[in-house]
Amino acid sequence: MNKYYIGLDGGSTYLKAALIGRGRVIDTMVRNTGIDNDGTARKIAKELCKRNSLSASDIGYIMATGYSRKVLEVADDDISEITAHAYGVRLTAPKEYRPGMIIDIGGQDSKIIYLDSSYGVKNFSMNDKCAAGTGKFMEVIAQILETTIDHVGPLSLQATNPCDINSTCVVFAQSEVISLVARKYNRCDILAGMHISMAKRIIKMMKKSEKGGDILMTGGGALNTGLHHAFEEELMRDVYIAQYPQFNGAIGAALIASERG
Amino acid sequence: MEPFYHTLKRIYVDMAHAETKKNQKTIGTYCVMAPPELIYASGAVPVKLCSGNYTAFSIGDDIAPRDACPLVKAVAGFKQTGLMPVYEDCSMMIVPITCDCKKKIAGMLSERCEVTTLHIPATREDKDIEAFMNQLYDLMEKLENVTGNTITYQSLSDGFRKVGYAQYELSEFIRLKKQMPYLIRGSHAMAILNSASYMPADEWGKALHKVNLSLEKRIAENKTVTSKKLPRIMLTGSPIVFPNIKIPLLIEEMGGIVAGDETCMGERGMWDPAVITDNSFDGMISALANRALRPCPCPTFADNSQRIYRLKQLIKENKIQGVIYHVLRGCLVYDFEYRRIEEELGKLGIPVIRLESDYNEEDIEQLRIRIEAFIELIKLKQAPEKVMTVRKDF
Ligand SMILES: Nc1ncnc2c1ncn2[C@@H]1O[C@H](COP(=O)(O)OP(=O)(O)O)[C@@H](O)[C@H]1O
Ligand SMILES: [Mg+2]
Repeated sequence: MNKYYIGLDGGSTYLKAALIGRGRVIDTMVRNTGIDNDGTARKIAKELCKRNSLSASDIGYIMATGYSRKVLEVADDDISEITAHAYGVRLTAPKEYRPGMIIDIGGQDSKIIYLDSSYGVKNFSMNDKCAAGTGKFMEVIAQILETTIDHVGPLSLQATNPCDINSTCVVFAQSEVISLVARKYNRCDILAGMHISMAKRIIKMMKKSEKGGDILMTGGGALNTGLHHAFEEELMRDVYIAQYPQFNGAIGAALIASERG
Repeated sequence: MEPFYHTLKRIYVDMAHAETKKNQKTIGTYCVMAPPELIYASGAVPVKLCSGNYTAFSIGDDIAPRDACPLVKAVAGFKQTGLMPVYEDCSMMIVPITCDCKKKIAGMLSERCEVTTLHIPATREDKDIEAFMNQLYDLMEKLENVTGNTITYQSLSDGFRKVGYAQYELSEFIRLKKQMPYLIRGSHAMAILNSASYMPADEWGKALHKVNLSLEKRIAENKTVTSKKLPRIMLTGSPIVFPNIKIPLLIEEMGGIVAGDETCMGERGMWDPAVITDNSFDGMISALANRALRPCPCPTFADNSQRIYRLKQLIKENKIQGVIYHVLRGCLVYDFEYRRIEEELGKLGIPVIRLESDYNEEDIEQLRIRIEAFIELIKLKQAPEKVMTVRKDF
């Protein structure tokens, strides 16, 4: 019988794939989404199988999620990212996590998903109008500060005196950063300031009526240790990070797939 | 449905005039708090001028300040261009001052035709009702001057009868609309309600009567719009004004059904009938004043707890599973009430999402993503379909 399932997450920036079997995450893969979403998805599915010595017939069901899920024809069905992330954390949350809130920070949007105690989705908030609270924005800032996205977190943790960033709009924030650079501010302090302002913006989205449970970060943004630190500081509480954060949506999709096929 | 589509098409596509009898005047109104009974009593026909027109909005965008709401911008746009005959036809416009923007458009519109403002108080105590009655008497005089007709006991009773008939048919319609499985789509129901803006109450009532009869027939024949269990969504918040009905359309396109509507261009607009407790002329004016202010769940009032009560009632009656809270960008009073309502409905376990939108087509995809996820959230409990074929390749 088929024992393996693939989840595909066609995000705004990256295409993520997860292979699961026997209720465990077996392998993951990420590629730039590119122009041919479906072609990339097919390639990635093939590679995942090859790397794990599986054939196509071993895959029981493929579930797509993410922005481009409707064009991923290789998948058998698709599901919204909200549902996918809510499922994903069943496999990726640390043991001590009590379901409450998921903060997903992707390339082009950030969302908050509220869970009941059995991981069911109660509600969600979404921000995709304003790029200032998203991962792509951090990539732009990294470029201005002559570093790469994977260094942004560690650098900002070295800050001694985080800058105040006031702008709530990317365009202005960008020029604010440039002017801080020109005024010879330390880039660690600038980055820490950016993370704080980004965390604050996302915290503002949180629904006051949804209390209870713990907070967990998912999405590529959760790989950013500086941002994670900023959330903990601003919220004054522990914030958990999902295992394989960037693949959480794909893992969730695969888990739903496993209930289907 | 024919007469309603015909009306909406006439006004918005053919750019026609409102249908009036010879020498009959049209009076424009901007809010449900302007009593139509009084306008009918003067022999004129009311048309609701609140607009959801995208072209007018984009013109008005350059006239009104950035933070003004799109409804006001659309009005400003129409005023500027003289684009819509229904606007041009009006012999007078009645603008209840429900927010600051309405105040400013009242001033703007008065460059074009006679405008009467109605001051809307922040509270609705006896003294407020009395003051509002005085305003209605002043309005009556103005209506008489504009139309050249005198408002009499008889003509006002006729006005009540016309509006009352439409309200009666509406309550029947709402009763039928509630039936499960559904006999009619919620977005179609909203189109019917919106067309009431441009049709005389008695004609609208007659057309609605036909719809009601056909719905009764559908019950008898067991004909429903779908046999599926569609997630039942209620819409509330800022007005959904034709042709800006992207949200109800998206809800139903994404597999939900608009099973409840607590918006002022929808069911709320005509829900509460004026109740006459005293058969004198003064009693009728008092009934109008009471109806306009007391039951109205409009956020223009300081204390609006009755909106929460009304929402809970609608949730119960229509077995609502989720609420979409529409905020027109810049519509502060509605946005203000969001938090409290979300909190109150949260206690009932009813999920609420806030959808901020404007009069344009650019945000349709973003709205779609949210609405789709919201509907999926409600639908998730349903059993999935299975496919079991062996995969050969990817
Ligand atoms: N190694 C990393 N360290 C910090 N941040 C990262 C790292 N890798 C990716 N990111 C962040 O994650 C974002 C992409 O997240 P992802 O969840 O894949 O987005 P989407 O689903 O929208 O395509 C990037 O814009 C970037 O900010
Ligand atoms: Mg994503």
